[in-house]
Amino acid sequence: MNMYLHELKSLRKSTIIWVCAMIAIALMYLSLYPAIYRDGAHFKDMLAGYPASIRAILGVTVDSVTSLLGFYAMILAFVVLCGGIQAMNLGMSILSKETRERTADFLLVKPVSRAAVVTAKILAALTMFLITDLIYYAVASAIAFMVRQSSYSGGLFFMINFTLLFIQFIFFAIGAVVSVFFDRLRSVLPVSLGTVFGCYIIGALIAAGKDDWARFISPFRYFDYSYIVQNSRYETPYLITGAVIVVVSIVTCYFVYVRKDIHAVS
Amino acid sequence: MSVIEIKNLTKYYGKARGVIDVSIDVEQGEIFGFIGPNGAGKSTTIRTLLGLIYPTSGSAKIFGKSCTTNPEVRQEVGYLPSEVFYYDGMRVIDLLRYSASFYRKDCTKRINELAEIMDLDLKRRIDDLSFGNKKKVGIVQGLIHGPKLIILDEPTTGLDPLMQQTFFDLIASENKKGATVFLSSHILREVQKMCERVALIKDGRIIKLERMSALQENNFKRIKVEGLSDLDKTIFDMPGVSKLENGGKTASFLYRGDINNVIRKLAQTEVSNLSIDEPDLEEVFMHYYSKDG
Repeated sequence: MNMYLHELKSLRKSTIIWVCAMIAIALMYLSLYPAIYRDGAHFKDMLAGYPASIRAILGVTVDSVTSLLGFYAMILAFVVLCGGIQAMNLGMSILSKETRERTADFLLVKPVSRAAVVTAKILAALTMFLITDLIYYAVASAIAFMVRQSSYSGGLFFMINFTLLFIQFIFFAIGAVVSVFFDRLRSVLPVSLGTVFGCYIIGALIAAGKDDWARFISPFRYFDYSYIVQNSRYETPYLITGAVIVVVSIVTCYFVYVRKDIHAVS
Repeated sequence: MSVIEIKNLTKYYGKARGVIDVSIDVEQGEIFGFIGPNGAGKSTTIRTLLGLIYPTSGSAKIFGKSCTTNPEVRQEVGYLPSEVFYYDGMRVIDLLRYSASFYRKDCTKRINELAEIMDLDLKRRIDDLSFGNKKKVGIVQGLIHGPKLIILDEPTTGLDPLMQQTFFDLIASENKKGATVFLSSHILREVQKMCERVALIKDGRIIKLERMSALQENNFKRIKVEGLSDLDKTIFDMPGVSKLENGGKTASFLYRGDINNVIRKLAQTEVSNLSIDEPDLEEVFMHYYSKDG
């Protein structure tokens, strides 16, 4: 419990910054919604003029873009990108920071097992994602409610927002498992930014082709917002794939970290 | 029962040598010295003992248990790493409280006592502390829970001489209360002052393990003589003299044996300057090295 609280405390600041960034994205775009709704036909024409791949990268579906949920799905793509970076970053740094900041000689000679250290850190990170997403969800709901032009389904709004948490879990797990294979991870940000942006771009390019098999490559494509809005459910195969990635990564993470040599400061 | 039990410990980092076939037993209540030059394998041995790294073969146990399979045994261990780094943005007291929260005892009283002894300001932020003061945080941190085994890795680097004395007094008093001490150092003087037994390590192997008193009996002195006129070469022709460098008025050599013999000899000549020093560690090592090889 002491380690969990200590981690929460140390993650406080960065979490606040990420929440603010995500809220800022939602606020900026959603505030445009009333104007776009009024000018719907022109807006659709303009978007239809873009090449399909650009639309895919921007997360635009022309048909539904003037409905609140359709428009919000486009915004959420950016928020999820943001959340993905936050999660991968945290995943990569949460264990490796002890060796990078040379505090491993403090923490890992305490009378606790390494597995307990990993558990406390993972739980702290997951707590932070929950807090991030809850605050974001509350604020985004309020903004959406204020800018709405007609009624929309709160349930679907929740469902598409919930994907943020899934994707964060996936990237967190990937980040954590990557980090344990390095003895000294000097800088985390370039790797996590590269991976997350890479996945996003790959996802967007694949999305243009709508190839079901290829969608497995990028976690960003595990949740198709137009599918969720139309069917009120997630696509099971992708949900399972996501869960498998998380479980396998976390288990590997424990396995490797517990057996790892913690090298001396040099 | 031995407090520390290291048996045929070998550790390779890939192909690089860590330690080879190290065996050490440290008894309850002992102050044990572990001495060797940088890179000899001192830290590797200690880190294996603490469960930070895994042995390639052999075993390292504390209170009969391995730290990796029984992390609980570390309840009774206090460790001071050679370089201390702590979490950013914490005050000294926050760190000490966090450290204390891992142990079953209530350490509040001891934190204040130790901070008093080590002259440490608990309210300062750790980031703002000098290297020496960070080291003090490390010392206090390693002792707050009254460990039965204290492991010190190069403890005095960064401490001023007064503070070093305070620190050694503190360790001595912990030892009187029953704590076993494992002191690793490359400074012979420190080890000589404190320890009952000592192990010498070089290039990953233990080359000597014996009682301090035995080591001191065949202790070497580095003697330098400056004569008023050119020194007579024959005066150094006596048992116990080695590595003689004689250049006209000055001579320098290692001497092993009864110090009185050499003083009597030297008294026969006119001397303008004389120094008798402890040989540095390298010389002691060279001696054991050549004897074993």
